[in-house]
Amino acid sequence: MSRESRTRTKAGVLVDAIRESPVDRQVKKYRRALLLGLLTVIVLILAVFIARFSKDRPMTFADDREHYLYGSIGSEPGGSISNAVGGVLPPYWIFVTLPEICPEKLPGGYASLGFIYENGRDLPVGISRRFRLGFDQVGLNCASCHTGTVRETAASERMVYPGMPSHQLDLQNFFRFVLDCTLDERFTPERVLAEIERAGGSTDAFERFVYRNQLVPRTRESTLMLSRRLSPLMANPRVPEWGPGRVDTFNPYKAIQFNWNLAALPPSELIGASDFPSLWWQGPREGLQRHWDGNNTSLQERNLSASLGAGVTPVTIDHPNLERVAQWIRDLPPPEYPFPVDQAKAARGAALYAAQCTECHGDGRFRQGTVEQAKASLKGTRVGTVEPIARVATDRHRLDSYTYDFAVNQYTLYPDSEYRFHNFRKTGGYSNQPLDGIWARAPYLHNGSVPTLRDLLEPPERRPRTFYRGYDVYDQRKGGFVTTVGAEKGRRFFLYDTSLPGNGNGGHLWGTQLTDEEKDALVEYMKTL
Amino acid sequence: MPEDVIFTPLKFRHLEVKNRIFRSSISGRWDNYNGSGTQTRINWEERFARGGCGAIISSFVPVHLKGRILPNYAMIDDDDKIPFWRAVGEAVHRHDCKFIMQLSHGGRQRDVPGVENFLEKGLSSTDSSDTFHGLLCRAMTKAEIDQTVEHFAQGARRAREAGLDGIELHASHGYLFTQFLSSAINDRKDEYGGPLENRFRFLQEVIRAIRREVGKDFHLQVKMNALDENNALFFWEKKGNSLEEYIQICKWCEEEGADALHISMGSTFPHPMVPPGGFPPDELNWWYGGMASSGARGYFNYAFFHFKLIRPIFLWLWNRRKKAYPVEGVSAEACREIKKHVSIPVLNTGGFQDGALIRRYISEGWMDGVAIARPLIANPDLPHILASGRDLPERPCTFCNRCLVNAIANPLGCYDVRRYDGDHDAMIREVMTVFDPPPFPAEKAPRIVAAGGAA
Repeated sequence: MSRESRTRTKAGVLVDAIRESPVDRQVKKYRRALLLGLLTVIVLILAVFIARFSKDRPMTFADDREHYLYGSIGSEPGGSISNAVGGVLPPYWIFVTLPEICPEKLPGGYASLGFIYENGRDLPVGISRRFRLGFDQVGLNCASCHTGTVRETAASERMVYPGMPSHQLDLQNFFRFVLDCTLDERFTPERVLAEIERAGGSTDAFERFVYRNQLVPRTRESTLMLSRRLSPLMANPRVPEWGPGRVDTFNPYKAIQFNWNLAALPPSELIGASDFPSLWWQGPREGLQRHWDGNNTSLQERNLSASLGAGVTPVTIDHPNLERVAQWIRDLPPPEYPFPVDQAKAARGAALYAAQCTECHGDGRFRQGTVEQAKASLKGTRVGTVEPIARVATDRHRLDSYTYDFAVNQYTLYPDSEYRFHNFRKTGGYSNQPLDGIWARAPYLHNGSVPTLRDLLEPPERRPRTFYRGYDVYDQRKGGFVTTVGAEKGRRFFLYDTSLPGNGNGGHLWGTQLTDEEKDALVEYMKTL
Repeated sequence: MPEDVIFTPLKFRHLEVKNRIFRSSISGRWDNYNGSGTQTRINWEERFARGGCGAIISSFVPVHLKGRILPNYAMIDDDDKIPFWRAVGEAVHRHDCKFIMQLSHGGRQRDVPGVENFLEKGLSSTDSSDTFHGLLCRAMTKAEIDQTVEHFAQGARRAREAGLDGIELHASHGYLFTQFLSSAINDRKDEYGGPLENRFRFLQEVIRAIRREVGKDFHLQVKMNALDENNALFFWEKKGNSLEEYIQICKWCEEEGADALHISMGSTFPHPMVPPGGFPPDELNWWYGGMASSGARGYFNYAFFHFKLIRPIFLWLWNRRKKAYPVEGVSAEACREIKKHVSIPVLNTGGFQDGALIRRYISEGWMDGVAIARPLIANPDLPHILASGRDLPERPCTFCNRCLVNAIANPLGCYDVRRYDGDHDAMIREVMTVFDPPPFPAEKAPRIVAAGGAA
């Protein structure tokens, strides 16, 4: 008897000598193939899943202007699906269909809030689109708050100026609408999916599953969190409305980025609304004390910090795209005044300007030539330095809303990276700014409390106490926007009340002593800046 | 009353059958494992002769062990089987009934390969396993084909020597001949594959070898598909031969000297259309296990029979093409087409029971006779019943196919308990009658008298 054919034992138990029939071998092959097939399918599904959900692709634009207006700086939610971070807007399809879900809350759609739609685009200026976390997402970019419109008359074509303050944009009511509608009882997966279909979007079964179980509930959840955090700002009778063209830069930042409990802050600190500044011709501004209160001299830190306000986080930020914007606005020239200028009058104004204004604001040379030449033109002036609050005497709420504690928190951002902030400072006043393109930066003062250049040259008691903001027809005589129109085609404008806290129009008395004729000439000159 | 066409004699070239009812090939696992016969088979065949059939076509009789479908089937692989088959023939002949031996080779369709075969793949025209159970096979070599041709010739010689009345070549239902004939199965590149005449070559060689061995005057009929419907179960399979191709094959069979044709259909067995009727999943759950390890898909199939939740998937596949065919006379229309093209008598099988239907088809010239299996299991005296003027027995066959599924594991019989008014014991008693008389009958059973019983 051969060794092989002897009955083998294993642990004392008889084990038959193993033989295999052809069927056994074939079944083994099938099972192996089945297992391999199953594994392949699982791996493929995982791969497709991972590919989809890890894909991070912004819409790209070859043209720099388009990139500025529509490109993504990373403000869409990102990170990972298990731990999504950043972003203040719902996914693309929810965003575009929200006005249909809550039509009475926003008749006229996002355009009625001052968003600019250019030739039939699906998204307005300032809203970027990016595929992230497996879906198209939207976010805010620089252009949302820094692109303004101007009309000569109510009947004329709108002119769109990238880099100009979005004086027409009602950002607060935009946030209110998004928060409100995503908590509305009509905001259900069924309704959202139906509206997506009506809007021409298609969803497959998987996407519908995710909308039902993830996107819609997550949107509501993040809305609940956001609205709770922001309620001391957004739903507080003691905090005046921001109104169009204004934003409270730092208080939402405290709540969203740093999880501060806003309700615990002194009420006056919560009043911080200020005008959107212009974003053009940034190159020569390097080293100037930026932000209304001059709290930072670094353009890069200013850009990064501002993008945080748009919903970017250190995890989700798109540095190359942001840098592309930064490069573009570095050289973006301020817009030429688009209406006729009385050159003789302006010449008279030039002399007055030199005497009254150049020391703090620089002059017409700033907008000419190269970045270096522009910087050189500021030599010997106090442009870009902080004017103590006691001297400038304008409303101090904005100054007070930026605190030491907040600056300390800012230093915790971008740790261990080249982006870490180290230039933020608490100051004691407001910074003197160059006045390039000042004609397009109305209303004036940091809080937009003075509607026109001409009004700013009046002593505070003769400046308008209330006026409408948001209307974009230009008042060529006074240098600013028409303030007397309360509504147009269903859009209601905002009645700005200078008597409310934070809205004060006092201070900045320079030039108020001039004669009316001198003031007019000075305004005429400033149109050329 | 005019003469009943069913009961007019059917004259073949060298055989005359008293009526038009043939017992189609069917069998239980009656015999010894080694293929030698038993008294039970004699009992089995004799009951149909007694019931009035004109002729009995034996069950599948393997010409070689390698071609066996199931163990316990009497074979014709050796001269030592001749005496047994002579005894079967004599028992049948006593009832004025003819006996035609079906010479068969299963090829890859070995439902239970048995201990002799299970370590080797079946022989076939192809290396591709059967599509239903996954029964494995390999393509025969030329030498093996020649050998198999000779096995058939010797089988025929033994049948003649046993005094039987003729032979039938089982060239339908997916067995070896179909594996050569069907374009869905035969993937050979040699002279036995490709064009139709090549695929016919194996059958042609067998017929010629038989004629050489037994002469031209021994009845030889061919059981032939009219259609393969090879994709009836799995729609992704090839369709197989068309009716036109089979008509051509039938004509060639006639040219080669076949005395009759026996028409059926289906490129596998069982097949959704063959036998026509039900496919009882409860019985499959009980008995399919007996062949679950025969093929590489056995356990997979068994899962579908066993788990009720997924049964509908299988039943949907099984039933989806059935709707195009009647249960009774499933291949009758195709048979009519074939009969138009040949001049030898044509039999048809598949769902025949109703006397009126049979009478109509024969008198209208669709066929010359019918071969019946399941309805005869249910009512072995069906010919007498039809002869008495009734078209259906009192308890007709329901075509439920419970007999078919039970045949894997149990004595063959009618297992439709509804036909026994739900009485399982009565059903089993009826099934077991096939074992009577036993191989060793008692001389005379002693009569037991109850002592002191009350009057």
